[in-house]
Amino acid sequence: MSAFVYRATASPQEAANWTRRQIVATNLRSVVGRAYPRVTGLLREKSWVFFEILLPFLATSAFVFVYRSVGAPPEYVGFVVLGGAMSAFWLNVIWMMAQQLWWEKSQGNLELYFAAPMHIMSVLFGMAFGGFIMSSSRAAVVLIVASTVYGVSFAVDQWVLLIGVFLLTLAALYGLGMVLASLFLMWGREAWHLTQLMIEPVYFVSGLNFPITRLGVLGSLAISLLPLAVGLDAMRQLAFADSAYPIGTPGPEVEAAILVGMTVVFLVLARWALSVLERRARREGALSVRWQ
Amino acid sequence: MSGIDAPIEAGLASPTWGGFDHSRTRGNGAADLRKSFGTAARLGWQMEANWTDPILFFIYSVAKPLSSALILVFMLEVISGGARPEFRAFVVIGSALWAFVMSGIAGLAWSVLEDRERYRMLKYVYVSPSDFLVVLLGRGVARVAVGAMGALITLAVGVVALGVPFDPTTVHWPMLIAVMAIGLASIVAVGVFMAAVCIQSRQEAWSYPDAAAGALFLISGTVFPLAVLPGPLQAIGLLTPFTWWIEGVRQALFPSGLSSVGGGASLFASVAGHAVPTGLEVVVALLLTGSVATLASIVAFRASDRRAKDRGLLDRTTGS
Repeated sequence: MSAFVYRATASPQEAANWTRRQIVATNLRSVVGRAYPRVTGLLREKSWVFFEILLPFLATSAFVFVYRSVGAPPEYVGFVVLGGAMSAFWLNVIWMMAQQLWWEKSQGNLELYFAAPMHIMSVLFGMAFGGFIMSSSRAAVVLIVASTVYGVSFAVDQWVLLIGVFLLTLAALYGLGMVLASLFLMWGREAWHLTQLMIEPVYFVSGLNFPITRLGVLGSLAISLLPLAVGLDAMRQLAFADSAYPIGTPGPEVEAAILVGMTVVFLVLARWALSVLERRARREGALSVRWQ
Repeated sequence: MSGIDAPIEAGLASPTWGGFDHSRTRGNGAADLRKSFGTAARLGWQMEANWTDPILFFIYSVAKPLSSALILVFMLEVISGGARPEFRAFVVIGSALWAFVMSGIAGLAWSVLEDRERYRMLKYVYVSPSDFLVVLLGRGVARVAVGAMGALITLAVGVVALGVPFDPTTVHWPMLIAVMAIGLASIVAVGVFMAAVCIQSRQEAWSYPDAAAGALFLISGTVFPLAVLPGPLQAIGLLTPFTWWIEGVRQALFPSGLSSVGGGASLFASVAGHAVPTGLEVVVALLLTGSVATLASIVAFRASDRRAKDRGLLDRTTGS
């Protein structure tokens, strides 16, 4: 029987007292409902294919040609291709996770989210799931097409670990996105500008196109704080096992453990930050914007 | 004296004779355009700059172009170990100049999206007596100014900290001024084109300007010489104004530096018969390609404008 079927109750209080099944079903439906527009948007917005897939591939190609112009070893082209694919997820986390609640506030949807009988974390999980599907297509195109066009050859010895690191990187990235979404809830225009600030500088400290060991202490700091940095480094070590990879970073197993820690910390932090900032936003009237 | 010839009252008050003053609908020509442009530019600057304190704003303005330059510098250092200083100067200048392109292209497009999707003011701006394109240009100029700041700081860091050899006495100032003027006009033209695209698009269009700039980055000789590209891509690159603008600025600032257009195996060398374009060739090519880009962008904007009015896109807000 559906969790949402009508049942006669003696009082409104009893009707509001949901069973665990109803609560779980409602939150799962919220996850699916929030992921839905992002997944269907893939098929409905035709310009998206051109602007979100083809053009980023060309941008990745520019860095390939930088390496080619200075005669870099072929595995460095592979580093750029892998970095280009992973950047799709970072951009999605920044634009469509971190900024999303603030954006929903600007559009007038946020107060509806809070008024709806669901946990707001369901909305964040839905955004993350939909965003993951959305970005995966772009990442896959960049990875497959660029690898084919530029002749990148991967040498993978530990497929299971590579896939595990990839999934852990995404979990940690979207966990960080949830934390940022909570923080951005309190901000006004700062949120928009800080989003801008988190693209190229993060690419640089994450060693998107070059081995992160070259950054020294800054690189070590990035590995301990940024999922993109640690995930990318681990994936490079695993995907180009036969290359003379510059040593100085932890092995992929250790970096996988770091990613597990990051995922847990970010999810707990996101839940805590969301509840604290939601209370604060309610108190200060920051759940809606002035012109609504 | 007829009512129509009566003097115009100050402000928005009715004429003393009480009728409708037709001359008001015609506006004041260039004076109105200047006023619209100035107001839009001031509004754009305030929107760009007054969200935080000056120190954070400064960091925000320079972090992006500086990081882009550092990514490339580290890529070169990893491979050459500092053995190719001429390449370092090449990528620092290219990255710095690209900050103009990014801000110019994004500025106009984001003005459309901000006003339509976020502030929901686009329809009101559109029906105001100001010319819509002039308002957009004013808004875009503010972002170009932010881009200019980032570009200058990146160049300064390049010279002071990264060993880019800069000698002010060797700079070809007339050429620098000419290519900067034509180049900036071309950037704004491409920005107008992207604004035309964004009027037709949905909320996700926020990333379109970056995507377009990323694609142009590949074919403009920004951070590597065009000669490494396949012939057809070199040909497309030679048709874009940014290629000639960047080459012109490089030649003007660093007359003995690497050329992004020329080189022994380049398409330019095989067509022109000499390895590196002369200053005059660069300016003429920039003028031609810039003029074509400007005309094309105006045509595209007008077409987009008509379609937007026809389909009610000016007050559309979307979400995903």
